[in-house]
Amino acid sequence: MGTLGRAFYTVGFWIRETGQALDRLGSRLQGNYFFQEQLSRHRPLMNVFDKVPVVHRDAFVAPSASITGDVHVGHGSSIWYGCVLRGDVNNISIGSGTNIQDNTLVHVAKSNLSGKVLPTIIGDNVTVGHSAVLQGCTVEDEAFIGMGATLLDGVYIEKHAMVAAGALVRQNTRIPYGEVWGGNPARFLRKLTEDEMAFFSQSALNYSNLARAHAAENEKELDATEFEKLVRKKFARGDGEHDSVPNLSDDVLLDKSSKAS
Amino acid sequence: MASLARFSRRALRSAQTIANRHVESPQLLHTAERAFATQAPNSITASPDRVKWDYRGQRKIIPLGQWLPKVAVDAYVAPNVVLAGQVTVWDAASVWPGAVLRGDLNKITVGFCSNIQERCVLHAAWSSPTGLPAETSIERYVTVGAYSLLRSCTIEPECIIGQRSILMEGSLVETQSILEAGSVLPPGRRIPSGELWAGNPARFVRSLTHEEIVEIPKLAIAINDLSRDHYSEFLPYSTVYLEVEKFKKSLGISV
Repeated sequence: MGTLGRAFYTVGFWIRETGQALDRLGSRLQGNYFFQEQLSRHRPLMNVFDKVPVVHRDAFVAPSASITGDVHVGHGSSIWYGCVLRGDVNNISIGSGTNIQDNTLVHVAKSNLSGKVLPTIIGDNVTVGHSAVLQGCTVEDEAFIGMGATLLDGVYIEKHAMVAAGALVRQNTRIPYGEVWGGNPARFLRKLTEDEMAFFSQSALNYSNLARAHAAENEKELDATEFEKLVRKKFARGDGEHDSVPNLSDDVLLDKSSKAS
Repeated sequence: MASLARFSRRALRSAQTIANRHVESPQLLHTAERAFATQAPNSITASPDRVKWDYRGQRKIIPLGQWLPKVAVDAYVAPNVVLAGQVTVWDAASVWPGAVLRGDLNKITVGFCSNIQERCVLHAAWSSPTGLPAETSIERYVTVGAYSLLRSCTIEPECIIGQRSILMEGSLVETQSILEAGSVLPPGRRIPSGELWAGNPARFVRSLTHEEIVEIPKLAIAINDLSRDHYSEFLPYSTVYLEVEKFKKSLGISV
């Protein structure tokens, strides 16, 4: 019925207005400690004056990554969540098909004990593991930097070489073709087999595909994501772990994201 | 004033291109690409088809396909965290700022009253070298210290993983053991129950005393208490729409 529907609508509006007024009242009660949510001013790509990142269209750059300054990222590469690529005092060049995994830090050196100022050059199809720190180093194609590795100034990693996880590669070390170095300070561990070297390019390719899935998801506009949330809620069934009581299956493990996003 | 700025900008640009060209000569790789980059664009021209991220910043929950990360009602997940793919954060758990939990290849679970501290990266490989399931599962009352990297490992109940530790594929940390800070567990290693291991690669240090073992769940509970304080700072619904409205009004866009 028209009038009843209209009545509900109006009452609903009154309740919402009341809620907003209460929110303002509560903020005033909080006084100095009242917090005000800000829009995110994070810029994944940021220039420092005239040093501009040039990122290929196909490259996946996570929104929480920070690419600053003179950084060049080739096609098919991926820069994952939380990375910081700071090309502010020198340049960073990342080839194609390379993946820089989550929380990695790629720096350049401005001043050096030896006086050489080095850009960071990372070749094609390189896999740089999570939380690695690369500063002023050169990494040739198809190399593999394990997670948590730290590569200091002047390090040169040749093709198909591998830096083990957690390694600290000291300044000006050169890691030859097809060898695994690891430890702190990094020492030669063993030589790589052909299979393992082939695995590097395969892993880089896998990561490219994964990056495309993440890129597609992160690009979605607000309308698309909200719509998908509705669709999911509609078709959600209880998981195997919970007894599927039809009305309560949502409440047992509520999706907090729908509230806080 | 403006002409001075223009002059200095031109000088800076020419200085930069000279420096770039000088650096370019010893490079072996991508000389073509490097040459391209030396003619650096002199203004920010975001490529027209490049995606521009909006004011929302990075979303916390990234569903991939049909996988949706699930966060329990009373778990604290900082807004800085990225949960992607198959991730489940169970009750009373906490994930602190900067962590990245990427369940895109395999499942990640954070158990009851466990905590993943700042800037950790949890990932799961497609398959594991040992027979263990390749998912990263963290059971109850586990404390994972800051800056740790966990990849396809299984951590049994009541453990402490120190800061900056690296646990590689297929590793298993058995119940009630402590891994010291900075330790690296190579793929497929196992830390037996009730022991303290440290080092890169991790080696046995000593067994834990009974008092220390009792402390382990207490630490997890203490961090859970701390996370309650952080959790209570957030309203259930975001109020950023107020900022958007203010912004639009200041730009003259009708709200």
